[in-house]
Amino acid sequence: MREAPTGELQRMSISAVNDPASLSWGDYKKKFVMAAEAGMGPDIILSGHEDIAIWAQAGYIVPLADSVDQLIAHHPEFEAVLDRLWTACTWRGKVWAVPQDVECRPLYFSKTKLRELGWSDEEIDELPDRIKSGEFTLDDMLATAEEAVRRGIVAPGHGYWHRPLIGGDFLQFYVAYGGKLYDPETDKLVITKWALIRWYEFQRRCVTTGVTPVDLLGTAWRIWHDTVAHNRVLFWNGGSWHYADWAENYLSDAGGAKFLKEHVGYALIPSGIRGKPGGTLSHPVVYMITSTNASGKTHQRLSLRLLAQMTTAALNDRHALESTHLGILKSQSYRLPAPSHPSFQILEQRRDFLLDISYMLRWNYFLPNHALYPLYFDILWENMVMVQTGKTTPEEAARAAIGELRAELGEELIVE
Amino acid sequence: MRGDLRKTNTRSGRGDRWNAIGFLFPSLLLVILFFFLPVIITFFLSATNMSSSTGFRNWQWVGLANYTKILNSPRALSRLWLTLQYVALTLVFFNVGMGLLLAILTTRIPARMGTLFRVVWLLPRVTPIVVYVMMWIFLAADAPYGVINQLLLEPLGVAPRYWIAAHPLLAIVLVNGYIGASFGMIIFTSAIQSIPPDLFWAAVVDGASWWKQIRYVVLPLLRWPLLFVTVYQTLSLLMSFEQILILTDGAYNTEVWALWAYHRALNNYWGHFQWGFGAALAAILVLIGIMLSALYLRFFRLNTLIQRPQIESP
Repeated sequence: MREAPTGELQRMSISAVNDPASLSWGDYKKKFVMAAEAGMGPDIILSGHEDIAIWAQAGYIVPLADSVDQLIAHHPEFEAVLDRLWTACTWRGKVWAVPQDVECRPLYFSKTKLRELGWSDEEIDELPDRIKSGEFTLDDMLATAEEAVRRGIVAPGHGYWHRPLIGGDFLQFYVAYGGKLYDPETDKLVITKWALIRWYEFQRRCVTTGVTPVDLLGTAWRIWHDTVAHNRVLFWNGGSWHYADWAENYLSDAGGAKFLKEHVGYALIPSGIRGKPGGTLSHPVVYMITSTNASGKTHQRLSLRLLAQMTTAALNDRHALESTHLGILKSQSYRLPAPSHPSFQILEQRRDFLLDISYMLRWNYFLPNHALYPLYFDILWENMVMVQTGKTTPEEAARAAIGELRAELGEELIVE
Repeated sequence: MRGDLRKTNTRSGRGDRWNAIGFLFPSLLLVILFFFLPVIITFFLSATNMSSSTGFRNWQWVGLANYTKILNSPRALSRLWLTLQYVALTLVFFNVGMGLLLAILTTRIPARMGTLFRVVWLLPRVTPIVVYVMMWIFLAADAPYGVINQLLLEPLGVAPRYWIAAHPLLAIVLVNGYIGASFGMIIFTSAIQSIPPDLFWAAVVDGASWWKQIRYVVLPLLRWPLLFVTVYQTLSLLMSFEQILILTDGAYNTEVWALWAYHRALNNYWGHFQWGFGAALAAILVLIGIMLSALYLRFFRLNTLIQRPQIESP
């Protein structure tokens, strides 16, 4: 981005760099860190909100305002952003980022398999509401999946599939059992011991009840997508952005979105505690503005104005429909392009899906903005894998995890 | 007269030394720049808390804190044990064992046939590593994707599984071993082919069986290449993780020490890099490598292998 000679925003030259060479978040972030250290970073960096605390501490990014109110006072365009998304953009009381998009991670279910189990159409239609109210829990999900396997409606190990590789999605089960991730008052990470044990028990039960294969963790994404998209699994967890991927890349031979509409339903992640509402993890990707040290430039003010100008319904609708992510604005309507648009039909199907799941954002939560969160997660994840593969018991793994967390995080951890 | 001679010898000795230093200097410089310096930097980094959160500017000295963390980590011992198992099994059964077996067998059959077999065994090494590992993944994948399940085991009534997950240690040994065996095979083949044929003729005249020729002629003459391949491949395996990274990315308890260091310092899911901690992990690996090399040199009695030729002695 270059400032015009007039010093005003009337003319700006902006280079948006897509980085297809970075195949993973790790590669992408490594590239940014190296560029920032060399003082050659971009003016604006787009990344997961969990980087805010890390990059703020390293001095790579600057705060945008002391509070959300102050930010909106200077840039009224941000008033339109969903209030709860600012939580993901805030660290130690200051606003450090502007959201680009948001998503949810539903529990998908096979409507046709439930029908084969004897569920009526009404019961199937009511499932999302029952999950939302906490009437249908993770225990119920496992029991239903177990029955489907026992009666041969799905193959053994195809009752319930979670994500096949590492990812924050697994923390949804910890939260579902009442686990707390972060205490914003003290800016410390939190581990809730009994919720951790319940989560690990859940992971192990998935395997011991025969609804999940013991070696599902590590399965190639392609195989995982192909299996769930083709209606071979009763329940599974995925991202909202997967829905379009399945329709367009895995089911082109089976009818695409029409096949999904016929066979697949979606709901919040059930709670582990009866009566407690279901929920979903959201991981907003956010725009952060780099410091002069990191970018070698002094475009911070202009960058923020640019972000404000970009926070419009038209641009967000377009991004949401093209990427199948949810919009960030209170009045997001996912307006379609003209019917003559070459992808009109696909975009229309995506719009319907996004409107269907928009309600989930009222029950969403975020990963903590804390510099030591990656370590916190890695320890919980490694112990979870040990439990799921039967190398240790849930109690032992929880004890080991808490011991490791204490050793690694020290004062930055609250155990409750 | 004696005094003059000594003078001349000293002068010539000095000249020789400078000549030697002059000739060695370019390679010495490379070794210092690319071998010693990185090790020193690694030890230096391992005494800091440098990470994505500190950047390269705000780090602090933490002394041995990273090493204490490693010692206190419940994962450290299991990962060290896994690494030693992986290195030992791959080395014994493939990099040295299979390499030696292939060299012996392919030098005992007609030369053209031997060359053909060796070329086949080189294929895993010349195939791009990602393609090679992806082939393993799809060979071993669960039904209905995996070739092993679908074509080999299903007709026998064996329940399908994702075989890499079912036997992860075996999988990483096999995937690495099939590449590693060719290195030893080439070195041993050339060593066997350079053994003077009259030694074999003499052994045959003495009535030595095929096995005795191997045991008493080939193996004693392969001590030097055996030492080289064993040391080189041990260090290679200790530091290697690329195949495991692509095959399992450390899943199913296949996070060997080098992969642990790589994940912590250079590439992980959240992109939070702990350069100080990762350097401490790497430094421990360097120390293990040095210790193992010293052990090998003692075991193979290196001094006897590099004695000056008697004919050129003064």
